[in-house]
Amino acid sequence: MKLKKRSIQEINTGSMADIAFLLLIFFLVSTTILQEKGVSLKLPPEPEEQSIAEIHDRNLYKILINSSNQYLIEDQIRLDLKNVREEVKSFVMNNGLDPSLSISPQKATISIKTNRGTDYKYFIAALDEVKEAYYELYGAQVGLSAVEFRELNFDLPEERLLIALGKEGIPMNISIAQPESLN
Amino acid sequence: MIRKKQRQTVEISTASLPDIVFLLLFFFMVSATIKPTNEQVKLTTPKAQAMIKINRKELIREINIGTPINREMGDSEVISVDNRVITKEQLAQWVVEQKESLPESLKDQMIIVIKADEYVKMGLINDVQEELKKVNARKVVYRTLPKL
Repeated sequence: MKLKKRSIQEINTGSMADIAFLLLIFFLVSTTILQEKGVSLKLPPEPEEQSIAEIHDRNLYKILINSSNQYLIEDQIRLDLKNVREEVKSFVMNNGLDPSLSISPQKATISIKTNRGTDYKYFIAALDEVKEAYYELYGAQVGLSAVEFRELNFDLPEERLLIALGKEGIPMNISIAQPESLN
Repeated sequence: MIRKKQRQTVEISTASLPDIVFLLLFFFMVSATIKPTNEQVKLTTPKAQAMIKINRKELIREINIGTPINREMGDSEVISVDNRVITKEQLAQWVVEQKESLPESLKDQMIIVIKADEYVKMGLINDVQEELKKVNARKVVYRTLPKL
């Protein structure tokens, strides 16, 4: 009797590595996608250690947001934050030219005052515009855009130098005043 | 007579490559889900443009502010840290504890990430900031998403 010859069928595993690599890369990418990013701010120290500084009105750029989320910027009612970035930039870099704007970048202060009933979103929007204006100024000092300036790495010596150069002479004076009570 | 040297090509076996890759894959899969996300509050982060990236993750401590997921806790916004809901008064205590967990040289560099819902009232945000000021944790980052 003739024995039937059985051929063992093998599955080609050559592409297994490719499949696994694909999955691996997917997980690598998806785990690093969540980065800690946000708008930074340094809170002022407690009042007792704080030196009370009188700020002249011309050195103060006032942004007020009421409980209905309406803006009052430099005593004008605004419906949105259009042009605020440009205004902040010209306010800070005025260097005493226009008597209604700041004397020097060092003295210029941006004040964002909210009401207890203001929505967080509108405060962030205002803060974002002001910070963006400053970053644009910093970037302009070293010939970069605001986005490029923010992406400079503080840990690299040459980039740290650029950061220092960009910030030179323009302190970011943002004051977030105590909100008024709801009434 | 000169004998021709026969060269043998040496091949490295790649049969175990999938195993190695799978091992790596499993490692990343497991480590990616190691942090349990048992969030107590529901929130939508606001959008912004002037964002910076925090490189030093070990300095970050996160405060969540939003409406509680648990309906029994009501509709008003609450503060949540480490997956538990706390009151405003407990916040300072928590910050001090978190500061203690950092090495001595880094204590003043702690970064508080405030992750709040778009429609949280500034009153509450400000109360939180006042508490942070009291315990001298003044580096604050408002968590935002990029504007599209």
